[in-house]
Amino acid sequence: MDKMVHTSLRAMQGIMDRQQAIAHNMANADTTGFRAEIVTAQALYLAGEGLDSRATTNEVTLGADMNPGTLKSTGRPLDIAINGDALLAVQAPDGSEAYTRRGDLMISESGLLTTADGYPVMSDGGPITLPAADQVSISADGAIAIIPPGGDPNQPQQVARLKLASPAGSDIVKQNDALFHVRNGGVLPSDPDAKVTVGALESSNVNMTQALVDMIEASRAWETQVKLLTTAQQLDDSGASIMQLPS
Amino acid sequence: MSNGALQVARTGLDAQNTKMRVIANNLANVNTTGFKRDRASFETLAYQQRIMPGAQSDAQNEYATGLALGTGVQVAGTMKIDTQGTLQPTGNAFDLAIEGAGYFQIEMADGTTAYTRAGNFARNGEGQLVTQEGMPLIPSIQVPEGATNITIGADGTVSATLAGEAEATELGKIETANFTNPAGLRSIGSNLLVETGSSGAPIVGAAGEAGRGTLRQGSLEGSNVNIVEELVDMIETQRAYEVNSKMIQATDEMLQFANQQL
Repeated sequence: MDKMVHTSLRAMQGIMDRQQAIAHNMANADTTGFRAEIVTAQALYLAGEGLDSRATTNEVTLGADMNPGTLKSTGRPLDIAINGDALLAVQAPDGSEAYTRRGDLMISESGLLTTADGYPVMSDGGPITLPAADQVSISADGAIAIIPPGGDPNQPQQVARLKLASPAGSDIVKQNDALFHVRNGGVLPSDPDAKVTVGALESSNVNMTQALVDMIEASRAWETQVKLLTTAQQLDDSGASIMQLPS
Repeated sequence: MSNGALQVARTGLDAQNTKMRVIANNLANVNTTGFKRDRASFETLAYQQRIMPGAQSDAQNEYATGLALGTGVQVAGTMKIDTQGTLQPTGNAFDLAIEGAGYFQIEMADGTTAYTRAGNFARNGEGQLVTQEGMPLIPSIQVPEGATNITIGADGTVSATLAGEAEATELGKIETANFTNPAGLRSIGSNLLVETGSSGAPIVGAAGEAGRGTLRQGSLEGSNVNIVEELVDMIETQRAYEVNSKMIQATDEMLQFANQQL
């Protein structure tokens, strides 16, 4: 059997990986602030003696689709949607600074401000902890104001500002914790001009139609590879029958 | 045999199914006094790094970008959406609505305190103000037999004209409780909520003070479920469910094709 089967096999593994990435996008079509994955195939040339006829494919993640998702109005005062391409800084489980587009914020028991998936939200000076308050509000520039217990409702006090970071010019990559990190470490600069829309959430930017088309395409590509495998099998069979001694 | 795409699509079905249940519960409570809608929030599951960026692709070359595959989605939790429900005038003297933040305190059968936004109170046999289930309001308010012109002020002061008297008598003062994180309260059914570690301790005091909303007599706070919003969410959830099941079907067909052809 010749090397063709291995080339096909590699392609099939890649297609199944791509199908998983498409399934992941589809599964997250309703996850607040989700950014779709872009997975593509790359040719991997196997240089060696003889004709360079073989190039196996290799699936790679190109990165996330950073197009904005649609805004959904919720009316909840702690829901924010980030305008433009800015990212909200959060603390990743390993303590480093990471970035996300989701803005469904919550206040934990200890007053720590977190996203709904549990990551502490950062200001320029570290994670934000809010003191006890009668009311918490966020303004369009990301400033958080509170009305202290018993305080005058007309005189909110600013306690912190969300760190809205600009990814412009930096290489950001989604890591295993599903948050964006600066490639090779480091932090993004805070963007003083970034704005948020309060009382709204940004939906996932997965394009369902695109995902369905990609899924069908991957299914057909898989069938082509299976056909190649059967062709290789037939070639092998006929080769073997030529070699057979007449009985 | 475990197939990535199939398992990932399954997580999508699971999550959408849970969301549908939350929507169904919201819709079922569209006419429940003081009900606050829940929202299911999804989170992305961890990624698997199949190929690290910078790993050797052969002796001379490195992968410029790796292959990181996501493993699906899960429901991170549900969140109570604490927006004000619409006020419905009822004209009943014991119907109370809170305009703004705060909860009525209710004494449960085991002596612990529960909290509610539903202010449809009634008088029991002993003249005490109780919920529809008969659980007394805290602090206890006694309305004597024959009392007329019962008024409950915006700050919770209850007064009435007692039989044979011309002047109104103050019967007590309803206090409400507020929380640092009301979204952290846990629903226990019957419109009642209980304190949890996440909600923080109750801050009790007169209505209308320190951020607590004022009371309005003769009105009830309706459910804050918006039917149209829930229906749109339901259609969205249904479509997302369908697309995930399409993925399972497509992957199944791929594997079936390979099994038949080879």
